[in-house]
Parts: sequence; structure tokens; C-alpha cells
Amino acid sequence: MGKVFDAALIVEFLPKLLAYLPVTMFILAASLFFGGWLALLIALPRLYHVPILSQLAAVYVSFIRGTPVLIQLFLVFYGLPAFLQLFHLDVSRAHPLFFVIATYSLSSAAFFSETIRAAVGSVDRGQLEAAYAAGLTGRQAFVRIVLPQAAVIAFPNAANSVIGFLKDTSLAFSVGVMDMMGRGQTLVSATAHALEVYIGLAIIYYLVVIVLEKGFALAEKRLQRHERTWASA
Amino acid sequence: MGERLSRLAERTERMTIDISFIVTCFFEILAALPLTMVITVIPLIIGFWIGAVTALIRLYKVRILHRLADFYVSFLRGTPVVLHVLIIYFALPLLIARLSERFGWGIDTASIPILVFVLAAFSLTAGAYMSEIIRSGILSVNQGQLEAAYAVGMSTPQALWRIVLPQAIGVILPNLCNLFIGFLHTSTFAFTVSQMELLGKANVVASVNLKFLEAFIAAALIYWAMTIIAERITAFLEKRITAYNRGGIA
Repeated sequence: MGKVFDAALIVEFLPKLLAYLPVTMFILAASLFFGGWLALLIALPRLYHVPILSQLAAVYVSFIRGTPVLIQLFLVFYGLPAFLQLFHLDVSRAHPLFFVIATYSLSSAAFFSETIRAAVGSVDRGQLEAAYAAGLTGRQAFVRIVLPQAAVIAFPNAANSVIGFLKDTSLAFSVGVMDMMGRGQTLVSATAHALEVYIGLAIIYYLVVIVLEKGFALAEKRLQRHERTWASA
Repeated sequence: MGERLSRLAERTERMTIDISFIVTCFFEILAALPLTMVITVIPLIIGFWIGAVTALIRLYKVRILHRLADFYVSFLRGTPVVLHVLIIYFALPLLIARLSERFGWGIDTASIPILVFVLAAFSLTAGAYMSEIIRSGILSVNQGQLEAAYAVGMSTPQALWRIVLPQAIGVILPNLCNLFIGFLHTSTFAFTVSQMELLGKANVVASVNLKFLEAFIAAALIYWAMTIIAERITAFLEKRITAYNRGGIA
């Protein structure tokens, strides 16, 4: 600490921190992309009650939901190189970003798979039966009929999770990634004005969250434009 | 930086997992569980009261105050918790020192344990999340219940405490459980200001023995077990609390 609090410094730090917002957003986007596909892979065996695979998926989801993301980050950082060594892949010298994206992909996959499961479960069973009656195959019925309806139901929950993950990415600095938070840490060491840096970071995260919330609210309205409500029916 | 380099070296050299060491350090790390529980539970209790007050302020739209309460809830829910810890850790001592200077309290901020700042930060965070949960709980109780309470002559605090709260608790119990689990996991951020809770302890055990993976696996198992226990207890409580409210005919 030592130095006097100087509010003007917050303004001075903002552009320096903002320069690293793309890194933070890249971590988020990449993790959501990989996490989304992985989530589908995890949800499918549970939806179709595939023996063994569905139990494995359940344990995986329970573990991820039962442990702090900071621990997951350390587990991947120290464990993934050892695990991939079994397949003669050496990733121990890979960029820390790799481990961070791997962690958040694995983590978001578990949460999204639960969202997908709940959403698919809430699609009227008659929709699937109607699809079969119209001659669609199981795969077609799932992809064309059930999934689009489930997506609308899942959207608000998924949007909340995305905002949660954005905030979680602030932990990436603990394995040495230079995202917004990492840049903040270097500013703290360079200037010793920790409080101003952290307040600046809080302002940026808050603004990004507000923008995301507004964007998701618009997207939700657009997604639901086909939904008929009792009032308009 | 030196520590990070030694960690990287450790990662590249040793590629086997020492299962027996996981068991050994499991019990060593478990000794830090009481501190983790303190950091988890106390903020939730303080946060419940902050949340209840801010929820009522927002529901009754108390002039000016409700805008402040809205901002408090939205700002703390919109920023990473690790920043709350860091900001309070740096800001609160400054604030206390300044106040103490002005009013001559003679408090030496260096003598305040860091744990106090951690608990303060998490309490503020918990208050914001609690506020939303309590608000949704109150809104879920039928308006007629409140009117009936007034009709039999209860005052507003009585009606809220005796009629609305018991029903709202049943509705918000799953959310409270999720918040408990969330805060159990969030308590790991206390590690960033060098608290010896489960993660801090795991990190020490790991650094001393140079076995990082094993220590973090042991810590993960503890958190996982705690989470499952919390879920079981909630399921049991939910059955009890909502017993009056069962639908059906049996």
C-alpha cells in the first residue's frame, strides 16, 4: 500500500486495462465454443440413458459443480500435462492460455450440459412423437424439432452462466495469463496503487456485464418471437 | 516469479501420481476445513441480514435508498468476487485509518487480522446475492397472505416475520443451498490474500512436498464431499419445510 489513494489514477489506468479486454473476451469466447460442444457430448448419453456413459457423465458433472473453479484451474495446470503424457503429448511448455481455456471449457461444459438436459426435458414429449409420426429419424427429430425449442428454453440460464464465466475468467491470472486482471497485477507491482487498479478493473467488468445483459435480453426477445402466449393466441 | 519457475520445473519433470500422498495430504488439508467453514458461513449469515434489509428497501421503493440498494446489488453481482476481496483488503484499512485519525479512536489497522477484511468483503458480496434471493422469495408469497395478516391486526414487521418469511424460506431454500455451495467455492479467493483455508493449506502442502497435483486433488475431493453433503441436507430440509405445502390428495 503505502501511497495515498488518488482517484485520478483510476481514469489513467482504465485505457491500460482496457487494452487487455480482448484477451479476456477471447478466453471467454474460446471456452464457450469448446464448452458448448462438450456439453452436448455430455448431455446426450444422459438424455438417451446410455449405460456406463451416462453414469460417467453424471460423476463428471457432479465433480465440476462440486469443486471451486480455482481448484479446477490448478488441477488442469498441473494435471493435464501428466495426463497427456500418457498419450506421449508434451504440453507442459504450452502457453498458460491453453490451460485456462481448457479449464473453462471443461467447467462450462458441465454447467451447460445440465442446462441442456433441463431444457430438452421440458420440451413437450408430443413434439418428438409428432416428429416420428411425420417420418423423421431419431437424429432428425432431435436436431430439427427438439433442439431448437430447447435452445429457447435454455437461453436465459445459459446467458446467466456466460456472465458468471466472464467473472470467473478473472482467475486466469493465477496461472500467469496476461488478461485484464493479469495486466492489473503488473500495474499494481509497477505503481503500488493497488486500490485504484482494482477499482478500475471492477468498473470495466461491471460495464461489460451490463452490455452482455442488455445484449442477452435483446437476443432473448428475438428468440422468443415465434412463441405464442395465451394473451395473443 | 521464482516460485512460478520452480512450479513449472516440477510440472515438466514428474509425470506420475502418488496416490498414497493424496491420502496423506487429504488429512493435512482437512485441518483447514474449520477456517473455510468460517469464511463460508459467517458472510452468509451477515449477508442474509444485509440482503433482507436491501430487499425490503427495494420492494417498498424507499426514496433515494432504493436506488442505492439497486446499484449495490447490481454492482456486486456484476463484478468478480476476487476483486471484492482485493478492493476491501486495500480500501478498508485506509478507511479505518482515516476515520480513526479524525475521531481519535487510536486503532492500528496493522493489528486487525486479515480475516476480518475477508469476512467483510464476502459479507458484502453475500448481501447482494441474498438480496435477489430474498426478493424473489417474498414476491413468491401470495399477496393475500400479507393482507390476511393485516386483517387479523398484525403490524408489518410481524406479518413479514411470522407469515411471509416462513413461507418464503421454503421457496428460496434451493437457492440458499446453491448460494452456500457457491460461497464454499468462493471462499477459495481468500487464498489470494494469504488465508490458510483449504486452498491456502493445499498450496502450502504442495509447495513443501513439491507435489502440486496430489495436493489439489485432495483439496478438490474435500470440496466435492462438502458440496454433496450440502445437497443432501438441503433435499432433506426441503422435504420438511415444504411438508405443509404438498399438493395432491394423500
